[in-house]
Amino acid sequence: MDKLLRNKKAIFIFMAPAFILFTFVLFIPICQSIYYSFCDYNALTPPKFIGLENYKNLLQDKTLVIALKNSLFFLIFSCVTQLIMGLFLAALLTNIDKGRNVFKNIIYLPCVLSSAALGLLWMFIFSPKLGINQLLAKLGIEGPLWLMDINGFIILPMWVIAFVALWQYVGQSMMLYMAQISGISKSLYEASYIDGCNKVKSFRYITLPLIRPMVATAMSLNAIGSLKFFDLIFNMTEGGPNHKTEVLATHLYQQGFKYFKYGYASAIGVLLLILCLLVTAFINKVVKTEQYEM
Amino acid sequence: MRKKLLSAILSTMMVASLFAGCGQSGSSSSSTSADGVEEITWMFWDDLNATEDLISLGYKDVIDRFNADYEGQYHVNVVTTNLEEYYAKLNALVAAGDTPDVFIVSPGPNLTDYVEPGVAAPLDDYLAQDGWKDTFTSDAVFTQQTYDGKIYAVPLNTAAACCFYNTEMFEDAGVEVPTNWDEMLTACDKLQSAGYTPITISAGTAWCLSMVAGYLCEEEGVDLAALADGSASWEDGKLESAATKLVELSKYFQPTAAGDTNDVATANFYNEEAAILIQGSWAIAQINGSNPDFESKCGVFQFPGCDRLIAKSDSLAMSSTTEHPEACAALMKYFTDDTAQKYTAEVGGKIPVTNVEYDASKAPAQLAYVMDVFQNAKGTFGFYNESMPTTETGSHFDDTMVSVFLGEITPAEAATDMEEYYKANCR
Amino acid sequence: MKKISIPKIIIYIFLVLMAVLYLAPLLWVFNVSFKTNAEIFTAPFALPQAPTFENFTFAWTAGKLGIATLNSFLVCVITLALSMIIGSMAAFGIARLRWKFAKLSLTYFLLGMMIPVHCVMIPLFTRFAKVHLTNSLIGLVLPYLTFALPVTIFIMVGFFEGMPNELIESACIDGATIYQIFFRVCLPLGKTGLFVTGLMTFIANWNELLLAMVFISDDLKKTLPVSLSKFVGPYNTNYSQMFAAIIIAIVPTIIVYCAFSNQIVDGLTAGAVKG
Repeated sequence: MDKLLRNKKAIFIFMAPAFILFTFVLFIPICQSIYYSFCDYNALTPPKFIGLENYKNLLQDKTLVIALKNSLFFLIFSCVTQLIMGLFLAALLTNIDKGRNVFKNIIYLPCVLSSAALGLLWMFIFSPKLGINQLLAKLGIEGPLWLMDINGFIILPMWVIAFVALWQYVGQSMMLYMAQISGISKSLYEASYIDGCNKVKSFRYITLPLIRPMVATAMSLNAIGSLKFFDLIFNMTEGGPNHKTEVLATHLYQQGFKYFKYGYASAIGVLLLILCLLVTAFINKVVKTEQYEM
Repeated sequence: MRKKLLSAILSTMMVASLFAGCGQSGSSSSSTSADGVEEITWMFWDDLNATEDLISLGYKDVIDRFNADYEGQYHVNVVTTNLEEYYAKLNALVAAGDTPDVFIVSPGPNLTDYVEPGVAAPLDDYLAQDGWKDTFTSDAVFTQQTYDGKIYAVPLNTAAACCFYNTEMFEDAGVEVPTNWDEMLTACDKLQSAGYTPITISAGTAWCLSMVAGYLCEEEGVDLAALADGSASWEDGKLESAATKLVELSKYFQPTAAGDTNDVATANFYNEEAAILIQGSWAIAQINGSNPDFESKCGVFQFPGCDRLIAKSDSLAMSSTTEHPEACAALMKYFTDDTAQKYTAEVGGKIPVTNVEYDASKAPAQLAYVMDVFQNAKGTFGFYNESMPTTETGSHFDDTMVSVFLGEITPAEAATDMEEYYKANCR
Repeated sequence: MKKISIPKIIIYIFLVLMAVLYLAPLLWVFNVSFKTNAEIFTAPFALPQAPTFENFTFAWTAGKLGIATLNSFLVCVITLALSMIIGSMAAFGIARLRWKFAKLSLTYFLLGMMIPVHCVMIPLFTRFAKVHLTNSLIGLVLPYLTFALPVTIFIMVGFFEGMPNELIESACIDGATIYQIFFRVCLPLGKTGLFVTGLMTFIANWNELLLAMVFISDDLKKTLPVSLSKFVGPYNTNYSQMFAAIIIAIVPTIIVYCAFSNQIVDGLTAGAVKG
């Protein structure tokens, strides 16, 4: 068997298509973009090499500090809540018989829709003139400025957007966990019930350890997704008021495509890349300790 | 299984290569097709079929007329995106050496971005041909499009920022049209005590609020050119008092102003929930289109206390690398010919840039008022955020004004902030 | 009939509440798409006074949604098929085959997930323009496919690693080639994973706007998200028509998704239990 798995030709055949595609379509542009991060480049004139200037500017950029803070908040919030809610929903849904698919589909539904359309929809709902504040007013409550309030360390709009993101993407995590849970052999559970475990205990001692690799996978996906988070914020607040809800990706977009500072935007991109690498390495160290045989 | 898979891959490859074929034949770059028709590309920021914007619909007519009149000689292909992605696409095309032959661009720093690297071509030679330039109302319409004495873009129409007001509410509250700042405050006060919301405005869309701030700065005599070259300082008290006035005015805004977007703020006005809307004249089409009954109740006055008007024009630039400059010039001429300019005034509700005779009775009622205001004004100036050294500086000004409005910073802090920003980035 | 236990009732109440939270905003969109623009701003929550289908007919014809749906469908299905095959092959190579750089190559692919599309767009566009791949659907399939690969590989590696060794060993003893092991043993077992990644790929591409907007100029090659954005004007947005277009755009996705997911996932859970 070892010989079979070490077959050079087979390795080549399995890896080559993905490798070639990835290298030519994505890796070379990534390298190019990294090169631009050392340049003064606006896409209209040829790039001019300026060394570390863009990175020096990063250090003095006040908006970047806000964007970094918001991105990290987003990262932590979405990793924690997606893990808890995703697992919780997956566990609930695998334990009911009637209507499992209906509820699963409903919760997955927002993932199917475009973030741009949903962002617009939520912007309407949180707009003071049109949305829930009008409903609250009928109850005699004066609703806050959901998307414009600027008080506090993590301002209200960020919480609002974070919850909308949870609402939208929790279906994704749930599906990943459900796919993994459905692969666990039923006999394991039956054995545990005979040993006197209840459902909660069997979840703790069988399900959790067995889906641990998937937790690492789903969490890494979440982490990278939340660091690159763009669509909802762009459509709900465009980073405003006064850049208070800016995250790294929206800041990058503004610098690159609104102000044509493409070199500087690339530097933000590189920063984002490094952050993503660090976070995935961290998650894999902490979560993915050992693997179980199923 | 493997055979099936292989055939699946092969068939997708075939479909794919089919598309590749289509792709090459329909390439958007300018070319001369086999039958001698010169193909050019025109790029615009609104879809001409799905739009309800009257000005955009007018442009569609221009394109159709051009293609019909020049059939067999020139043909223009239309490339559209929405405004959000417009510059991303335009820049990508420029970077790929595939600049559209004629493209729309905002005057100010945006146009500068294309003029400086030589993407846009100077147009003086074409304007001089056949007396084209003489058809324009005056040379002043080219002010924002001129760099070092050369004109780099052709304006198509002018929109002016005015105060639209609900005549019924004004009558009911016994308010006269205000002509200076104090009268404005009294008028708002009276409207408020009569139970109306005096002003509807959007701070959610930053440039709307910043437009009012621009007028207030003008009243205080802020000199942007002097600020840019460093001979004046933002901290000389002018911006501070303008920002203070903005805060003063803000107590007459609708309660949801902080979160309302431009669309919502305008809807407040045509749904008769507020008395005054400060907005560009492009809003006329939106107002009349959404609530046709409102046209007769809608008046217009100049922002009180200002001699000059904020004005903005859509402009067309020509690629410096185009292979068919004559076709491009011919197309641009179609945008400023009598038919197009008449449409601009009578249907689009914007101010024409040429001396065209149009039927004022056909035009929206508000246009006549805007024209009055326009002719009485001592001159025009650009949007503040489009008159600063870079687009980013303009946005910074917008954001600073929103911060003042939200009470995050004081007017004095706003002045310090702008001065620091200019020191670091603009001088 | 079994007696219904109290925890079950609580679970169901919770799930129904969740369902309301998920469906209400979508119902709101549905409701709004029957209104006029002015009505949206005066009474956003009320039922439409005079429900009008005009929004739908206008959106369909003016937005050219028919051809756009077809384009989106072609691009997404081709991308989906290719990314599932190429991606799971590479994932198998990384997870199961024994070679020195397996782990390293996974990291290499993951790089693609970490860079925002905005960063690579201009280099990608200039490159594609040189070989005349812009303004063609194949020019969209390539980047979509490549952007989908890292996620597909990442998730499928997780699935292949979780598979019992004995399965492969026993297949080996039966004299299967490595290709047979992949196609006959591992791929069928990883179907759940394939389904989830396939769904993610399809949806991400179905909704992708920026690349499609920048790469495609020809009106007849535009994809759905680009067509939806047509209703956003420079000064104001036709909300009612845009929401009507959104409804038109999502209905087929939902139908296809519901039809497929129930069949596939049910079949899989039944099959996987034995494994």
